[in-house]
Amino acid sequence: MLNIVLYFQVHQPRRLGKYKVLHIGSNDNYFDDELNRKILNKVSDKCYLRTNRLLLSLIDRFKGEFKVSFSLTGSIIEQLRRYRPEVLESFRQLAATGQVEFMAETYYHSLSSLFDEEEFFDQVGMHSELMETEFGQKPVTFRNTELIYCDKVAELVSQIDQFKIILAEGAEKILGWRSPLYAYSTYNANQLLLLKYYQLADDIAFRFSNKSWLGFPLTVERFVEWIERLGLLERDGRELYVNLFMDYETFGEHQWEDTGIFAFLEHLPGCALKNGHIRFANPRDAIDSINYQPARLSVKEPVSWADTERDLSAWFSNSLQSNALRTYHDLLKKIKRSGSKHLIDVARGLSTSDIYYYMCTKYFNDGDVHKYFSPYDSPEQAYVYFINVLADLEKRIEKETLV
Amino acid sequence: MRILSLSWEFPPFITGGLGMAVYGMVRSLLKKGVAVDLVLPAKGKYFFSLRHPEDVDNLPRVVSQIGGEKATPHSMKELKDIIGSPLSVYQTTIGMRGFGGAVEDLGSSEEFGKILDTLNDEYYLFRQVLDYTGMTVDIGKEIGCDIIHAHDWLTFPAGILLKTILHKPLVVHVHATEFDRAGGAGDGRIHNIEYTGMKCADKVIAVSEFTANLIMEKYHIEKEKISVVHNAYVMKDCPVNHRRIFDEPTILFMGRITLQKGPDYFIEVARRVLEKNKNARFIMAGSGDMERQVLHRAAAMGLGTRFLSAGFLDRDEVEQILATTDILLLPSVSEPFGIAPLEAMSRGAVAIVSKSSGVAEIIQNAFKIDFWDIDQMASTILKLIENPREFAEMSKRGREEVANLGWDEAADKILEVFGQLQETAVC
Repeated sequence: MLNIVLYFQVHQPRRLGKYKVLHIGSNDNYFDDELNRKILNKVSDKCYLRTNRLLLSLIDRFKGEFKVSFSLTGSIIEQLRRYRPEVLESFRQLAATGQVEFMAETYYHSLSSLFDEEEFFDQVGMHSELMETEFGQKPVTFRNTELIYCDKVAELVSQIDQFKIILAEGAEKILGWRSPLYAYSTYNANQLLLLKYYQLADDIAFRFSNKSWLGFPLTVERFVEWIERLGLLERDGRELYVNLFMDYETFGEHQWEDTGIFAFLEHLPGCALKNGHIRFANPRDAIDSINYQPARLSVKEPVSWADTERDLSAWFSNSLQSNALRTYHDLLKKIKRSGSKHLIDVARGLSTSDIYYYMCTKYFNDGDVHKYFSPYDSPEQAYVYFINVLADLEKRIEKETLV
Repeated sequence: MRILSLSWEFPPFITGGLGMAVYGMVRSLLKKGVAVDLVLPAKGKYFFSLRHPEDVDNLPRVVSQIGGEKATPHSMKELKDIIGSPLSVYQTTIGMRGFGGAVEDLGSSEEFGKILDTLNDEYYLFRQVLDYTGMTVDIGKEIGCDIIHAHDWLTFPAGILLKTILHKPLVVHVHATEFDRAGGAGDGRIHNIEYTGMKCADKVIAVSEFTANLIMEKYHIEKEKISVVHNAYVMKDCPVNHRRIFDEPTILFMGRITLQKGPDYFIEVARRVLEKNKNARFIMAGSGDMERQVLHRAAAMGLGTRFLSAGFLDRDEVEQILATTDILLLPSVSEPFGIAPLEAMSRGAVAIVSKSSGVAEIIQNAFKIDFWDIDQMASTILKLIENPREFAEMSKRGREEVANLGWDEAADKILEVFGQLQETAVC
């Protein structure tokens, strides 16, 4: 069978404000919550509410044959609770259908898997708990921030009992001649690996409305035909997984309504299910559906789904980013040693990967994407405000430690 | 004596030393009974008719076309509406348009052909200078004067034209040249305006020996025509008791982040100090073409939260940052004067200044070091932060010295220059 695994990432960072040197010591509000509220409202109206409603009706219409999965970060859930509780409620309705899987990740969508193991375990634990309270599911699938994956991540995840599956990017540099359609196992054979089929996923997420793309305009029929053709590769009846992972904001926000993106999503299940060899699945379904011994995949260098490099360069490639990350993680350790519960919470809010993403100085296409998402005028501004925030936090912890 | 004073900056609208210097000298000239009509880049045909020392603060304005109707702006906002922001000198962002008129006069001087070509250029700043020139000539023709006093190249075209039209002596006051600003060859069109201005002028006032030498060497202006009048310093507002930001010793760089000002030396000094003593904070205030480069360098050095960038600061923010500063470093490669050390010293900070700065010529109680000697600057900072007693002593002496550094003496020198010119005119 060809299993279509639709997984949507739902995340909005809590963006930092323009925090100046002169604010240090006199202003402990680091976030631009006015901006955060505005963006959340916009995305809620254009994407979340609308797409949730559509998914709910599709799940209802196809009676158990249509499935989707989500990962919602702690950052967005906190903001939804504060500004748009009805959106959270609509995610709960999706959870209640039983067709929707919620996955685990780091609570703050952080890079802790790379820089701070202890923090990684803490944040994954916090996030799993959140999934249980919000959606009544104890996650069995783990997806790391921005699909960052390597053997070290697998090793960390293996130390947490609950996880059976990890999602990662199906980058050529880790697959070589192999196909992302098969399920693999981690280097230590502890979890199944499902790899994003990025060509097809990006056809929807990035190229859907690109008029200069050869595939434009993308119809559901053509898309399903492409998927059907993939099935011809497998002659031994092994289960294939077409992993279409993307940002949820693809629907209505990155691809506006007038591109026809909602109509595309609406007609996808009906068209795909006409073919008896295609079904929709959640990542957790792979545990039972896999009918072969998965090959082990060892990934030494981290891969991610970001930018054309599909590596860590979006967050960790220039001196601003490395100084920011190093200074932050040193400070976080210091604050944890102090045991100040309140300041640990504040400091963790600064672990969100987007903060470092805004400092990226890569040019050309990816630079444009970074600019599209950034609330600042330049990567340098993003850096300056962040370092000022750290200087303030450092002062606060020194003061508390003295007392 | 009635002076027509032409400036691009004046408080509260200042970005650099120019506005503060013009403010200080105009106030002292007023004290000595000189009348000053001040023309600033404005969004209407206004000038400021200053007759008493306090006028430099309340800026009584006269609407030129309506024939001398006086009005004192009441709010800062109103003032801001009238005066075009001097920000546009280096950051061409804020619009000033609609002066019209007087442009036909621009052709009337022979020297002006080339300048006119420049000012008609697409480049926004030149268009602004053209507008300013037109407006100023109109005002000058209407109100007349005894002497025209033009500060820096932006006002030189207006000065030259008014001299031809009114047949009055022109004094050009050189606060900085394109050689200082560019830190290299600079813009040839601006050089031409500076050169023509100094050549047409009856007298050239330079803010330091440093600048006078540069004018002789680069513009070949004869020595006899140049007078050196060092800038002084007057605290415009009584410093409010602003809070300290950091407990640690705080070292400040304040100025444009550009080659001339030596910001790259500042970070090298920061690194050397922090290697020996982590207990210090370095703040860089200002903006400019090297900001990016300097930030990346500081980050690559891993200076973390010990090196902060405050960005461009307005006047109030400058006060706040000075209040938290212990040591001001001015590592300029080329600095005609440099007022920041005086501002900092008057608030109790210790200044370390480049030997290639005008300010080094007039102050005693500051450390004067070659701009390239980063080791010496670093060891001086270390010595100061590790010896509080020595720091306190230097701080006290510096503060006293600056307090006595009034504009009155400088104004006397300026008056002497004006007086000579008037005598010549009478003969």
